[in-house]
Amino acid sequence: MPSFPTSVFAAGNAKRTTEMLKRKTALASLEQEDAAGDQPRRRGFKTDGLVAPDRPLSPTEWKKQLEEAPCSPERFDVHMMTLLFKTGAELDIAKSLLTFVALETGTMSYQLLLQYLTLCVKGGHDAEALDCYQIMRGAFPALETGASSLFIKAFSRTESWREALPILRDMKKVIAPSTRNYSDIIGGALLHGAAAPAWQLYDEVLGEGLTPLPDTWRALFEGGARGGRAEEEGGMSPAEYGERLLGVLGYMRDNQVYPERNLADAIKTWFHSLPGHHWRGEWTTVSPKGVCKGCGSELESIQLTPEEYTHLEARVMADIIQGKDVFQKTTAEELESFKAFVKRKPVFDVVVDGLNVANIVKGRQSEMLLAVVCELERQGLTTLVLGRKHMLRPSASWDRRNMGLIQKKAHCFFTENTSEDDPFLLYATLHSGNHCRFLSRDLMRDHKACLPDALTRRLFFKWQRGHQLVIHGTVAQGRRVGFQMISPYDTIVQSTGVSWHVPYDDSVDRSSYEVPQSWLCLTNKP
Amino acid sequence: MMGLFSRRVSVELWRLWSVSGTRHFSIGTFPTGQVCSPRSFSSGRFLRTDASQPDQGDKIDLDLWKSVMRSQTAVDESIEDDKEQVKKGDSTDYPSGCVLAATRELVSMWRQAGKLVPDKITDQDVKTLAELTTKSSKKKYLKFLAIREGHKNKSKEKQEKKRAEREQRLAEFPETLENRPPVKNSFLMQYRDHWLDRLLGWRGAQAMNFGQPLVFDMSYEAHMTPQELTNSVSQMLEVESCNRRSLDPFHLHLCNLQPEGGYRQQLVKRYSEDAWDRLLITETPQRHVDVFPQEQLVYLTADSPNVLRTFDPSKVYVVGAMVDRSIQTGRSFATAKRLQMATARLPLDQFLRWEIGAKTLTLDQMIRILLTIKDTGSWEQALAFVPKRKHDGFYQEKKQSERGGTAARDRGDRYPQRDQRERQGSAREPWGAGRGGQDRGVSGKGVGMAWEREYKQPVTRIRSSQNSTTEDRRRTDKTRTPWYQQD
Repeated sequence: MPSFPTSVFAAGNAKRTTEMLKRKTALASLEQEDAAGDQPRRRGFKTDGLVAPDRPLSPTEWKKQLEEAPCSPERFDVHMMTLLFKTGAELDIAKSLLTFVALETGTMSYQLLLQYLTLCVKGGHDAEALDCYQIMRGAFPALETGASSLFIKAFSRTESWREALPILRDMKKVIAPSTRNYSDIIGGALLHGAAAPAWQLYDEVLGEGLTPLPDTWRALFEGGARGGRAEEEGGMSPAEYGERLLGVLGYMRDNQVYPERNLADAIKTWFHSLPGHHWRGEWTTVSPKGVCKGCGSELESIQLTPEEYTHLEARVMADIIQGKDVFQKTTAEELESFKAFVKRKPVFDVVVDGLNVANIVKGRQSEMLLAVVCELERQGLTTLVLGRKHMLRPSASWDRRNMGLIQKKAHCFFTENTSEDDPFLLYATLHSGNHCRFLSRDLMRDHKACLPDALTRRLFFKWQRGHQLVIHGTVAQGRRVGFQMISPYDTIVQSTGVSWHVPYDDSVDRSSYEVPQSWLCLTNKP
Repeated sequence: MMGLFSRRVSVELWRLWSVSGTRHFSIGTFPTGQVCSPRSFSSGRFLRTDASQPDQGDKIDLDLWKSVMRSQTAVDESIEDDKEQVKKGDSTDYPSGCVLAATRELVSMWRQAGKLVPDKITDQDVKTLAELTTKSSKKKYLKFLAIREGHKNKSKEKQEKKRAEREQRLAEFPETLENRPPVKNSFLMQYRDHWLDRLLGWRGAQAMNFGQPLVFDMSYEAHMTPQELTNSVSQMLEVESCNRRSLDPFHLHLCNLQPEGGYRQQLVKRYSEDAWDRLLITETPQRHVDVFPQEQLVYLTADSPNVLRTFDPSKVYVVGAMVDRSIQTGRSFATAKRLQMATARLPLDQFLRWEIGAKTLTLDQMIRILLTIKDTGSWEQALAFVPKRKHDGFYQEKKQSERGGTAARDRGDRYPQRDQRERQGSAREPWGAGRGGQDRGVSGKGVGMAWEREYKQPVTRIRSSQNSTTEDRRRTDKTRTPWYQQD
């Protein structure tokens, strides 16, 4: 069948379509007008009326500021410190404020010190932050989560990164530390050559069920690339480190993670740095037939293995159609009658989502549907058309003659008007076998969300990319119906023994249901 | 504002200042144990040090606060030691030990950090807090507790103020026999509140014997979060009170109310045991299909394809008692389908120009609508209880002005763009790029306008019978317009 290269699953497609539609409907000009006129309206903010000084002030001068300030004297110190932080003031000014407060009241509130700490950490004054740590630890019984995170960040940047570990332990008692906290410590450990603790923490992240941040991976790969500088100190041999990094790539494969350009860079650098091998990487793309343009090798097929296929089929029936309550999407009776229908009919080649296809045009939907069914019949494919019972009622949209013709050319099943027809579509396609495809523009995201675990969802998405036919563009009267091409290869981190192919995001706005089109091809040819 | 220095801190300061090289203070101004004015210090200091060593003066100046804090820590520690020796026997251990204590500490530190956190938190709340997993859920719960505490404190303050005023007033004018205000002399009989209660009680009893039953289906406990459950219980309270005060109350049945369930526990807690027993409603753990015959039951749900045109006094209407803030489409319709019940929905689209908002209504809005339609038979009066922010007024007003040419043209091809679920004209379109991406310029407003054009005809037809099932529909004549085109 005539097929076209752009696919609804390719990265950037959704963004392009939105732009095109915007231009068509001239909404863009209206939006620009709106955006120009509106200033965001702010309510009275706590730092309004305060002016941050540009040099360190003496306590007398601060006293004058305090008296002239519009806010209450008790809150002056905290508000002024917040203002200094927001305006990015120098550290000395903040210190002078703290001195003034110390002289005035003899003590400082936790909030004030916390704001000061934020200023230090943002400005990168780590020594100051360490001092703060001593003071705050002494002055207050415990630290809360905000201060803990800031201290972890500050410590990880310095030599004494190990001090961050007890802070993390304390945090764990009350809340689950975030991936950002772990990322900071792992980065700090690697900067100072301690590889074994870094990997231990990485394992902890995975154990908690969190997804490591791309920054963590980047730090790990860069640490590896820096080489065997201090592997004795780190407690890990380069071979072991390499194994672990390959494990990271395996994780990215299993969880369908696509790295950004800078992470892909770090991966490439690490591969290049491996001694004794001749890894060479290049940025490339893949031809529509599934052949890498960099090294000429074929990529993995998008078809599922038989076990994966049976697993998916079972889950679709159990979770999408039946779910917790079969009556949500259909009725028990209807489901049984559909199962019987599918059993007695021959195996299908294409299953058509009747309503979705017909509604490409407004008015005279039955003509559209007839055109598509005729095209499929012309190509000799056994077709099943799914619809709802109201399509059988004659009207301007659903012409009786057209519907009669459709029922002659293809097998049809009409569900109740109150049931959903998409789950039946998925079931019929899966039941007919691997060669069967379904025709719809619906991305089935709401049904994919009914699946219980990430593995099944990824299998569903993989199966969908390999089996969903989408009508290309619009269908004009008298023109043949064209379909978008289904890519024969799987966009996932993959490797043969001597090559690695890593798809990455190359500064394209990619939606969650799209896959990237750019690849990093690594080959190890001596 | 002069701070109060402890003796030791002031001694420390004194030592620091002397180290910094200032000699320009007079000993006379520093009596032992008294507060010293920093003003005199600073002016003296700057006069001396600015010219000669500005950097050093600044440096020592800037890190002064650290020394102050450290010294204070030393002071505090010594005080703590003393205190601990005093209250040795005082145990502040919490039962589950580490986690609860740590949670309590976290709450107090968050309070010091300026987050929205209650001042006092009970053990039960700490336990609930510790069981919440994510940081954001903890913060939200604490915010809820803080706001509740704020309300309580405010009302307490008000009470205190009132009490103080009253005492003051009594002090000035003590209530003796001479000062008592004179008894009102009027020919009108004084009205007592409990007379109304008695009247409503008789009305309620009559409704229980002879009134039309109205069922609230309480089987959705498993589908609601604890907060939603509390909200639905509050709504049930309002339903009961609204029904009691109406002219001709329904006989309320709360079906599927499991005796051990959280729903019943909360209801009894809110009413108190005695009041709950005295309520003139029926509660039963049975299903409504077991209590009433199948032909009489009609489930009112927003997902139904059938529109309720007239209120039938012989039918028993069922309303699902569910609050779904995270809207669960089709849940009540699924229960109706499972039990093979007739379903219907309110004629919101036929009478209201819908703007934006979910077409699910709260329980008290439903009871008011049903009571009004029962009493008056007028949908305009009944649907006035739909929140006004959701719609733009009734259709009748607009029809007068636009009666002319538009009505005739729009009959023919106004079929829905795509076969949506039963939400006609709903602004809440959950389909993303799902149902077709190309001609998706249909916003809520667009669909609303399409349906507007359709419903220009006066809506005064009253059907004699109510065909509530799709089975019935099939049996009627084929020339009838399809369900989604009903006006």
